[in-house]
Formats: sequence, C-alpha cells, structure tokens
Amino acid sequence: MSDALLQVRGIGISFGGLKAVQDFSLSLPRGGLYGLIGPNGAGKTTAFNLLTGVYQAQSGTVELDGRRIERLKPHEIAHAGLSRTFQNIRLFGELSVLDNVMLACHCRGRHTLLGTVLRLSRFVRQEAAMRRRATSLLELFGLARLADEQAKSLPYGDQRRLEICRALATEPKVLLLDEPAAGMNPSEKKSLAASIRDIRDRFAMTILLIEHDMGLVMDICEQITVLDYGVTIAQGPPRQVQQDPRVIEAYLGEPAKA
Amino acid sequence: MQSLADNLAHQPARGVRDRVLAQAPWGVALLVALVVHFVLGPVLGPYWSQVATQAAIAVMLAVSLNIVNGYTGQFSIGHAGFAAVGGFTGAAVSYYGALALWGGATKQEGFLVPGEWLMVGGSLLGAVLAAGLGYIVGLPALRLRGDYLAIVTLGFGEIVRVLLQISGPQLFEADDLRSSGFKQWFPPPLGGAQGFTGVPTYASLFWVGLFAALVCIVAYRIKFSSPGRALLSSREDEIAARAMGVNLARYKVRAFVLAAALAGLAGGLYAHTGVVMQPREAGFIKSFEIIIFVVLGGLGSISGVVLAAIGLTVLPEILRDPQRLIEAWGLLAAVGVLATVGGVAMRRSGSRWAPLAVGLGATALGLLAVALVASGANALMRSATGDPQANIGKYRMIFYSLMLIGAMLLRPQGLMGVREVWDHFRRARPAPGRPGGAAT
Repeated sequence: MSDALLQVRGIGISFGGLKAVQDFSLSLPRGGLYGLIGPNGAGKTTAFNLLTGVYQAQSGTVELDGRRIERLKPHEIAHAGLSRTFQNIRLFGELSVLDNVMLACHCRGRHTLLGTVLRLSRFVRQEAAMRRRATSLLELFGLARLADEQAKSLPYGDQRRLEICRALATEPKVLLLDEPAAGMNPSEKKSLAASIRDIRDRFAMTILLIEHDMGLVMDICEQITVLDYGVTIAQGPPRQVQQDPRVIEAYLGEPAKA
Repeated sequence: MQSLADNLAHQPARGVRDRVLAQAPWGVALLVALVVHFVLGPVLGPYWSQVATQAAIAVMLAVSLNIVNGYTGQFSIGHAGFAAVGGFTGAAVSYYGALALWGGATKQEGFLVPGEWLMVGGSLLGAVLAAGLGYIVGLPALRLRGDYLAIVTLGFGEIVRVLLQISGPQLFEADDLRSSGFKQWFPPPLGGAQGFTGVPTYASLFWVGLFAALVCIVAYRIKFSSPGRALLSSREDEIAARAMGVNLARYKVRAFVLAAALAGLAGGLYAHTGVVMQPREAGFIKSFEIIIFVVLGGLGSISGVVLAAIGLTVLPEILRDPQRLIEAWGLLAAVGVLATVGGVAMRRSGSRWAPLAVGLGATALGLLAVALVASGANALMRSATGDPQANIGKYRMIFYSLMLIGAMLLRPQGLMGVREVWDHFRRARPAPGRPGGAAT
C-alpha cells in the first residue's frame, strides 16, 4: 500500500524496562477512517504521542504524505499536517473559545514583530482571515454563540467538540482523535459518531480514532487495529476483529478451562 | 472549508484611511505626553511630578515584565538586571557623552535640548544591550520551567549587580575622560560600589510619559495578536500549544528579548531622574518590586499591572504625609460620593460604564478614609508622645505590606486576572442564541 497518506512502519518505545509500544505499523489511506482500540494501558495514547512527536520513537519510521516525520518536533509535525485532540482535554482554559481556534490557525500564517506592532496591512488582513475561518469552524460545530466565553467555562461535551474544532483549524491532512467519546452518554456518543463521519466527508479528512469503547468504533471505522500491552494483536475490518479470539481474550480475559 | 490562505486571498485590501488610523495611537501617545508635561506637570508641582515620573517608569517595568511572567507564564526574577543594564548604559552615554561633546554634564535648560536626545540614544542603546542579554538568559527558559527558571534569572540579576560593584571609578572631568586609556575603561568606569552620579535629569514628564505610552501600545498590540495568543497558549498548556503548531522555543526566547529591551529602555530613563545609580539597582529586591506590580495587577493584564504600578508607587508617598490628602478632602469627598451614587444609578439602568464610576468613587472614598485614619493616628501619636512632629508616615511600609497581604487574600488572581479593565465593562454575557446542548 504505497498510496497511504500516513504510513507507519514498526515504531516502538520503551520506558525503562516497559515496552510501551512495540513494532506498531499502520497504513492509513487518504480519506480513511480507522480505529485504534485496546484495553486500558494498552499503549494507544503512547502510539499517538509517538506519531505527534511528544515522544521520540526509538525505532521505526512515520511517513506523512511521502515525508518522513518521526524525527520532527511536535510543532513541525503540526505544520506537516498531523493534528490531534487529547484524551484529557487540553484546551487553553483562560482564553476565549474563539481565541482557542484562532491560535490553531496561527501555524498557517506568517508573523513578524514589526507587522504586529505597527498593525501593517498583512497583519490586519491575516487576523481578519483567521477570525473568519475560526468563526466559520465554530459555526459548523454549533459553538459560535459561545465564541466569547472562556474555554474552561464550557460544558464537557462542548469542550470535547471545541478540541476537534481547534485541531481542524491547523488544516491537517490527518486528524488523530484520542477518545473523543470519553465521558459521554449513549445519545451524545451517537451524535459524536455522526459528526465524525460528517467531518470526514465535508473536509475529505483522513481520521485515526482511539476509542476505549468498542461500540462506537465498530459503528464508524473501516479498519481497526487492536493493541494489547503495546503489541498489535489484530488488524482488519470491524467484523473480523470482533470475532478474533485474541481480541476477545484481551478484553474479557482468558476463556475458562473446562 | 476554506484554508487560511484562501481566506486571506479573499480578504479585501485595506484603504489608506485604515492604514493611517492604524498608526494613530502613536500620535495619541505623543499628545498625551505633551499634555502630561505641559499641563499636568505644573499642576502637580516638582514633588508630585517626581512621583509621577517614577510611576511612569514603574509602569514601563511592570508592563515589560508582564510579557514574560504574565503572557508566557514563565517566572523571571531578574528583571531589574535588565533595567540596570539599560540604566548604566544610558547613564554612561549621557554623562561621558556630555563631557566629550560639551565639556561638562550640567543640565541644559529647555525643551528637547541636545542632551535629551543623548539620553534617548543612550537609553535605546541600553535597550539593545539588554535585549542581547535577554536572548542569552532566555535560552535556559527552553529547558527550564517555574522555580528552576526563576533561579537562573535570579542568578543573572546577581551577576549584573556584582559586575557593577567591581566596575571602575567614575571619571568626573572632561580632562580625565580625554586622558583615559585602556586601564580606565577596563573594567568600565561605572562608579563601582559608590554608584554613578551626576547624570543630568533629562527624564522629564514628557519623555517618561511618551515612552510609557509607547511601551503600553507595544504590549497591547502584542497581547491582542496571533503571536500574543501563541505566548498566552504556552502559559495555558505547553503540550497543546506545541501540538497546535506553535514553536514555543522561539516564542519564549522572543518574549525574554522583548521584555528585556523594554526594561532596558525604562532603566535608561530612570538613570536620568536624579537618582544615584547604584549596583543594587540590579538586585533581586528591585526585581521583586516589579514582580509585585505584575502579580497584584493580574498576570497577563496590561491595564491591571499599569494600575498596580501607579498605585503602589503613589501610595507610599501618600502615606508619607497624609496631610496633603486631608487638604483635598472636599474634592475627594465630592468625587467619591457623586461617582459612587452615579455608578449605582448607572448599574440600575444597565449602563456598562457603571463599574468605572463605582471604581472611581470607591478609590476617592478609599483615599479619603486612608487620609482620615492616618491623620487620626498622627493626632493620637502626637498627644500620646507629646512630640508635635510624630508622624505615622515612618510606618508606611508596614501598611503597604499589610495592604499587599490583604489584596492577595481577597484577590489571589490579582486586580484584573488575565482580563483588561474594559472587559469588566462589557455586559455580563452576550445574549444567548439558543439553549445549550445542541449537537453539531
């Protein structure tokens, strides 16, 4: 699969003696919506942190649209077109909702100290363009009416949506969602599933999704990778993965010996 | 969804009028400085003009430190070191420049005399030197946070102080300067432990007012801009800021460089206010004074730290001799009562300026209360001790400290938090469009 937009080959990292992620590979085609699941502590978020440069991979390569990114710094990876949300929400709490999204537009702009201090034309027009883009993203997520609120004052579900909105504002090629449904009730999860599909279709986005809960992933993902103790134990379409005995074992424990 | 580049391409070009208006604040700053110099100065008289000058310099120092400690959330306690670098540079340029050019450093009378331009040039040179040091001190900030970075900056301030302490003796005469060789200039003749004296007092209300206004405009324009958001985001959450594509290393160092440059400028002017420039100007006690302005005003709030810097510079002077305030009791009482009553009425009618009126009234009444209590205490002390000269003023720093403790207990986030004064005048909440919980 050489036409993959995100091509991960055998990345791994250990913390001391703990092999958090081993030999993790993934081939995510353009426009794909893939899932990464596994029990608690399986290394899902560590895998995301490796992809986004929070941790440096000790082995393996990551290629985004033909460009090697595994040695880049987190902000360079964001520039390259990989954006993410966080499992434990990491918004800029004191800033307004609009500023959170405008900040994410920052990396696509050009900035000079002189232009900023003198309010030169380039700066003013760029700020206006950022504001317009951020506002239309917020409208899309039903957050526009909250634009002036402090991000930390938003209800939980809105904060999760704002994280996705902010990640999209960096104009990514690939979007990584880390447990977007965590803490949501079944009806919220349903509407989240609809909006994730909607994002994929509307932005022609390529998405990799971590989820703890199988239901949502089975529902929307085309391909699923299952991690357990840092090792990939299954990879394939939802139905196949669901019936894989190793996956059932990882989630439910070993079958009782008769 | 359009990309930012598409959005930018569709953004209309800016008219000439907008371009000119964007530069209007600089003109306003100049106008304000002229009014302060020619109208406020004579009204205040020499003593309170000097207090106002020190307040303006405090504003510059507080607003510049706010860029590092407030915007980016780093903790620098070496700010006085940068100010001292600018201060001694400005002092040396002005003093030795005057000796070389005019044979003596006596003050030239008049407005915008050549000596004043020498001061401006020296202060700008001081700002450049301080910026260079800011770059060097900013580099550890890439690896260190919080307490650890604080110790690095503390070390920097102390190095500056010690270097000033062991600098060579000041050259007082034009002849000394002319005959000086390498021996006199290494270490540079900055006065050593005796300090550097005789710098002409060119830092008039015009210059400090102008530069304080310019510093505030620069700080404001940076805070409310894309680079400003990048600085603020690093204070909120570094991991998220990096993941959103902010080059934190670059912005942290830039914050240090800019803050150091503005502090150097402030220091350069300070050297021209008639003080003896001593090595302790670089020490951490001075740095802490600036930190108190920033923390009390609200980390990140420009208007908050401006108010705190002015208030904390003026307050000890008021406490020094409460009699001055008692003489103005009629004015204070009238302003206080009218503004408070007016403010309450405005709040009833929903005016967004109500907090301003109430704040003004409360300040006036508070000052009056301070004056009354202080003069009452004076009277008590005088009758108790039988000393007609007894003055509560010598205990003023105790009241000052108690007030700081009280302020921190009541408002640990500072006067303004991260917000600006005018944010509090907005209506409490924009009218809600529809109830919450609506899905995408």
